[in-house]
Amino acid sequence: MTLATIGTVARRGATGFERKRTDVAGGLFKALILSALVVSLLVLAVLLIDTVADAWSQLSTRAWDFLNGSLRSRSIDDKLGVKQGLYGSFWIGVFVALTAFPIGVGAAIYLEEYAAKSRLAALIELVIRNLAGVPSVVYGLLGLFLFVERSTVFGFVGLGWLADATGGRSVLSAGLTLAVLVLPIVIITAQEAVRSVPSGLKEGAYGLGATKSEMVWTQILPYAAPGILTGTLLAMSRAIGEAAPLILVGAITGGLTRNPELWDASGLREKFTALPIIIVEWVSERGRDPGFAEAAAAAIVVLLVLVLLLNMTAILLRNRFERKRG
Amino acid sequence: MHRSQRSVRRAAQLLVLIVGLSLAASACGSGGSDGSPSGSAGGSSGEIFISGSSTVEPISVRVQELFNDINPDVLIAVDGPGTGDGFVLFCSGETDVSNASRAIRDSEAEECAANGVDYVELQVGIDGLGVMTNASNDLVECVSFADLYALTGPEATGYRSWADANGVSVELGGAGELPDAPLDIFGPGEESGTFDTFVELVVEHPAEERGQAGTTRPDYNPSGDDNVILQGITGSDSSLGWVGFAFASGAQGVKLLDVDSGGSGCVAATPETIASGEYPLSRPLFVYVNSDKAASNPGLEAYVDFYMDAGLDQAVGEVGYVELTDAAKAEVRAAWTERT
Amino acid sequence: METPDPVPGALSLAALAGSPRRVRRERLISRVMFCAALVSVVVSALIIYALFSEAWIFMRDVDWSSTWGELGWFPRRGIYDMPTLLVASLWTTLIAMIVAAPLGMGAAIYLSEYARPTHRAILKPILEILAGIPSVVLGFFALLWLAPNVVAHIGGEGGRGSMLTAGIGVGILTVPLVASISEDAMAAVPKSLREASAGLGARNAVTTLRVVLPAAVSGLVASLIVAVSRALGETMVVFMAGGAADAVIRTYSPYDGSLTMPSAMASLASGTDQVVGEGLTFQSLFFVGLVLFLLTLGLNLIGDRFVTRVREQY
Repeated sequence: MTLATIGTVARRGATGFERKRTDVAGGLFKALILSALVVSLLVLAVLLIDTVADAWSQLSTRAWDFLNGSLRSRSIDDKLGVKQGLYGSFWIGVFVALTAFPIGVGAAIYLEEYAAKSRLAALIELVIRNLAGVPSVVYGLLGLFLFVERSTVFGFVGLGWLADATGGRSVLSAGLTLAVLVLPIVIITAQEAVRSVPSGLKEGAYGLGATKSEMVWTQILPYAAPGILTGTLLAMSRAIGEAAPLILVGAITGGLTRNPELWDASGLREKFTALPIIIVEWVSERGRDPGFAEAAAAAIVVLLVLVLLLNMTAILLRNRFERKRG
Repeated sequence: MHRSQRSVRRAAQLLVLIVGLSLAASACGSGGSDGSPSGSAGGSSGEIFISGSSTVEPISVRVQELFNDINPDVLIAVDGPGTGDGFVLFCSGETDVSNASRAIRDSEAEECAANGVDYVELQVGIDGLGVMTNASNDLVECVSFADLYALTGPEATGYRSWADANGVSVELGGAGELPDAPLDIFGPGEESGTFDTFVELVVEHPAEERGQAGTTRPDYNPSGDDNVILQGITGSDSSLGWVGFAFASGAQGVKLLDVDSGGSGCVAATPETIASGEYPLSRPLFVYVNSDKAASNPGLEAYVDFYMDAGLDQAVGEVGYVELTDAAKAEVRAAWTERT
Repeated sequence: METPDPVPGALSLAALAGSPRRVRRERLISRVMFCAALVSVVVSALIIYALFSEAWIFMRDVDWSSTWGELGWFPRRGIYDMPTLLVASLWTTLIAMIVAAPLGMGAAIYLSEYARPTHRAILKPILEILAGIPSVVLGFFALLWLAPNVVAHIGGEGGRGSMLTAGIGVGILTVPLVASISEDAMAAVPKSLREASAGLGARNAVTTLRVVLPAAVSGLVASLIVAVSRALGETMVVFMAGGAADAVIRTYSPYDGSLTMPSAMASLASGTDQVVGEGLTFQSLFFVGLVLFLLTLGLNLIGDRFVTRVREQY
């Protein structure tokens, strides 16, 4: 998922002009570009079908056990499953919502309403746009530097307390790293939503004697809420699917006793694993034990269900409000 | 105002309330409170962190599974970055147990001593190194140590055909009958214990005698992922490669070569020849236990006790490695119970 | 920092005469908002600091001859041949673009110029779903489906990963990105241009090729630049399906396995935060990160230029 994709959020497309006339070259051209679209959709279909087919041996017989199971040394094991990965991924999503969402919305409102068109805002916006293009593995280095290692900045600003607070290689570190990663997405989508608020609404509020913050609270936020929410959901789904930063932050790949309930917050500063990490690990274990290829496919199905649910909610939400506002 | 719009507004206000609260929470959170309650603070909470060799990792995970079945309150995490990486963590006191597919090096032992980390070394099983080629390659059946050194040692840098190695092989007393076929070599990377064992058994000794660096030629395809090595071997008709026996014996599309340590004849790699020591390319698998932590952490002590029991007898075999002989098991158990 | 604007119009006097508490509250709120906006700047500064502080040690101490013209990428042996990683990055990116450019642009042209609104309403969300698929899933798909079913038929090995396999996987990943930016660019072309073209009797295909595409060209270029930047930075697909891990001999053939910059980083850091090796191995991680960061930053800045140009044009 990228900014550009999100960038299309509030836009309506232009339609072409249909004509009835025999036009061989034109027909050929249309067939060509249609085939591009069809191939893209076919790839998506093959990917989904192939993965589900591979996953079937796990999901058809022991779906519930698989969801409740843990990392195991052998693929044929009643207790094999992804609950620990679900736990890690769930809390990563929660941390994104708790940190990237408020900071992102605050930043968007500042840029659009408080500092609009100032040079400072232009600079911050440039920084944000470029942050959005930084490869995820580089964010992993940042997470390693900030939350895992006991680093110092310029030799005197100690960051050891951050590593202490997060517990080092923990869900908390992973969640914060990924929150930083998706922050630009949240800001940019929120900015677009705030920008779409009609100026009449704002002026009306001012006319009634509202202060700026009252205007933001009563006019901008309610109007922009669906757009902001869409962006946050997309950001969460992006964060849940990321693996590269987790490799650098140090998710566990081998075995893990701890298998807490989803809402049990006591495991947040402990060693952890996450769904994408489990997938990578099982793909590489399939040489020692070929059954892990199917287990990996089953874990992918679980991950895809989560990611696609978040994405579809976001898309539906956006479409509904777009239609309403015409 | 439209009704739906009012409900949206209310929802949005709720949202912002949450925002404010969480902002405040994050501001307070950074002030020093830890946020979530955590059980990791105490020393006797029964947590164990194991890292090290990815080869030994499945054994330790299997032991963890069996151990947790009867003792679910001891929380164990097992990771597998590699033997060398594992010792770095172990000797800085970060891990309680280090898996290793070779014995600890002097430099690593010094690092442990410098940090005041005392440890017990326990052998848990045996793994053979499988030397392999593509299943369709019938030009080679058996390789001698001399051949292997000539093919993979430092002097082989730049060799593109098996036959290039014949000269060096003959100098070392080998047969020098390697075929004229393209040579693509695949093996483990240097972080791996499998790499170290191969160098130790095959390369180091002749390299020293001949005044060469004690390591492999750099121009082969190293990989930390055994699958990638197998893929490489199956992808090239006259390839050469080596991985752990447990991994090699289950693989499709590759052929295990017999190995001749020099004079004693070609020996095929089987669990029996490896356990008996007949097959020359085998290596011990170890766990290293931090003694101070074992003394202060009853959970760790119980885990290693269990490792010495069902671990040696059951887990090693279940994940595909070769069990120690009974005499060797007794020796290891004694080493654990009689630790000081 | 600015003080909040006074309330506009005649009411401003009354508002100011109101309670100073209200003014203080306004100031506090605007300050909080400012802090939120500043987080991104701090994050950027930290990224740059983290990269430079370790990469600097590497650049100061490394024997530079080991970074150019050596056998390959062997970070644990002190051999850091950058051409190995650059060649692999170039190949995977090139292959990804060969896949993504026609598919993405074709899909964009169809959606923007041909599809009926009802079809569009269905097709577009599906394309967006493709955009949401995590890269580990494409890594799995590339290694276990594309390699045996596609790559094996175009001269590659079916049983293993390679730059070709990884490149196709990365290409699929970037199709929605290319499609989305291209479609934005074409949508920005004013309707009046299309109407004028049609009015002159041009057929739909001619209008698209001669009027819409030339008018949207900087947006199309931007979509490719941004996609190249995304492909260069893609980690997991290449890590899983690139056919190499940890270290590799330099190779120029896309049928071989190799390591790109990000996949070399992930390999090196895999499983542990304590990278061991001779001397500068840990620092090499940050050096490669820095090179990657600067490359993608440069591309993004150029891409941004093109996108802004589209906006300014119409």
